[in-house]
Amino acid sequence: MNTNKTIEELHEMLINNKITSEDLVKDAIKKSYELNKKCNAFVTIIDTPEIKEVTEDLLSGIPFGVKDNYSTKGILSTGSSNTLKDYIPFFTATAVVNLEKHGAVAINKTALDEFGMGGTGTTCHTGVVRNPWNLEKMCAGSSAGSAAAVAAGIYPYALGTDTGDSIRKPAAYCGIVGYKPTYGMISRYGIFPFASSLDHAGCLTRSVKDASIVVDAMKGYDLKDQTSWDSSSINLYNSITGEVSNKKLFYIKEIVDLENYPNASLELKEHLNNFHKSLDLLKECGVKIDAISIDKNLLKAIPSVYVCLSCAEATSNLSNLTGISFGPRGNGKSVEEMMKDHRTKGFSPLIKRRFVIGSYILQRENQEKYFVNAQRVRRLIVDKMKELFKNYDALILPVSTGGAPNIDGSKDEVTDNDTSIIEEHLQIGNFGGFPSITIPNGFINNLPVGINITGNCYDDSNILNIAYALESKMPYKNQVAVLKEDE
Amino acid sequence: MSKFTKELVDDYAEKLLIGLSDEENNLVLSEFDIIDQNMDLINKIPNISEVEPMTHALDDFSFIPREDISKDSPSITELLQNCDCYEDREVKVPKVVGESDGA
Repeated sequence: MNTNKTIEELHEMLINNKITSEDLVKDAIKKSYELNKKCNAFVTIIDTPEIKEVTEDLLSGIPFGVKDNYSTKGILSTGSSNTLKDYIPFFTATAVVNLEKHGAVAINKTALDEFGMGGTGTTCHTGVVRNPWNLEKMCAGSSAGSAAAVAAGIYPYALGTDTGDSIRKPAAYCGIVGYKPTYGMISRYGIFPFASSLDHAGCLTRSVKDASIVVDAMKGYDLKDQTSWDSSSINLYNSITGEVSNKKLFYIKEIVDLENYPNASLELKEHLNNFHKSLDLLKECGVKIDAISIDKNLLKAIPSVYVCLSCAEATSNLSNLTGISFGPRGNGKSVEEMMKDHRTKGFSPLIKRRFVIGSYILQRENQEKYFVNAQRVRRLIVDKMKELFKNYDALILPVSTGGAPNIDGSKDEVTDNDTSIIEEHLQIGNFGGFPSITIPNGFINNLPVGINITGNCYDDSNILNIAYALESKMPYKNQVAVLKEDE
Repeated sequence: MSKFTKELVDDYAEKLLIGLSDEENNLVLSEFDIIDQNMDLINKIPNISEVEPMTHALDDFSFIPREDISKDSPSITELLQNCDCYEDREVKVPKVVGESDGA
């Protein structure tokens, strides 16, 4: 019944007694069970969440979803991994605590690619997450369950994390909004680490304004996360005006121009054509948009830089998963045998591959060529972006090569083809800690597609405002996927 | 011909206490080749060695030590709830020192 309502609309209904929080929560839990049968979106559905008082706070009494790599005290938190399949934390992540202080009601834990280390939503220990727009299609990852749940209208928002594009690509494939604010705006205390220098917390919603409300509540300096910073002077919700007539954006020619894709599919052609139509809408608002050229070798290095840095950091961050002091105990006569059994049986093939790459990169004899040079290229890419952000408000690009791919045949491998840059460019946002938001901008072959806007650090208000202006010119705000009964 | 071998991949997996199937090993090998080719491109970027490596997402990252205030820690009983094998207040593991080592 309330599947396509914004947070503001639900709040109005709650304070005017047109609905109670109990009814809203009960309905969302019922829908969660229905969706889980078809999409595998959840690891845990919380049957009896604590109902909060409805206050003047926009989030009070409204249900939401928590990605299962956020620690939640007393509630199963698995990271979608068999290595933590029974793990129950003794504390709650700061971002969730902050939302609960606003009266928000967590009702489920959403499935992800194991520990956030995947882009397909197919490596969750509870099964493949399916896209509610078409069950044969993937949601992308890693915030796959959060994206599926928000797209299906279970609630207006769910939490995500984003190390390479894990909020923003699932948002595109599921026809919703995915926003990762500037690095450190939201505390990561209590979030399972993947690659600490790239990890961001954020949210998935069905409108830009909802994203601003949610992140306003999640953010804040946290003594427990030394990378967090004081953002108390920033109010994202209040700064959204829709006025963008003096803004300047750029896109990267090497990613957007069709001539870079000699074997372009019809889908990619339509996607790029649709991207330019979205630019025209912004131009109607008075936005100036330039095409900028960037060294293709630098762009081509992005996926490999990402793999080198993320795998190396992950190998170190997840070395505590031994099955000795927590996690299912492995078999073996010695501690080493037990740990090897735990890790071999517990990790999915994708994670194992990532770890082995990380191990190789971190060997003393390889560090300079791979790890340190990847950090150097990261600097070159970020410096180039910062130079451009001196003259432009934001970078605007299409997300991926079109709509969600089929689940069958997805491998999540490192590839080296013509489309690897357009598939992976969102990683730039993680390299620089830049605020970055994806919004839906159309349909191709009956599947939603997205467009991304990325700006300079701490300029979140500007990025959201531009996204809001574009969203207001298109009919995709608050759209909900309707599951077919026979699927 | 690739400079990476099955044995090399298995060796790095073993260092992490991870066992790989042949299929998993092959996938790592194919990814290594692509990463290596791209890193070779990076090595050809002029003066790359003079670029300051970027280790944090924010250039203005600074760490101010917090006040040293003692706080209550979770109880040991609470912490052991996620451990499959413990005795009293301690995690139970097999003997680390083998029979033949105990001179």
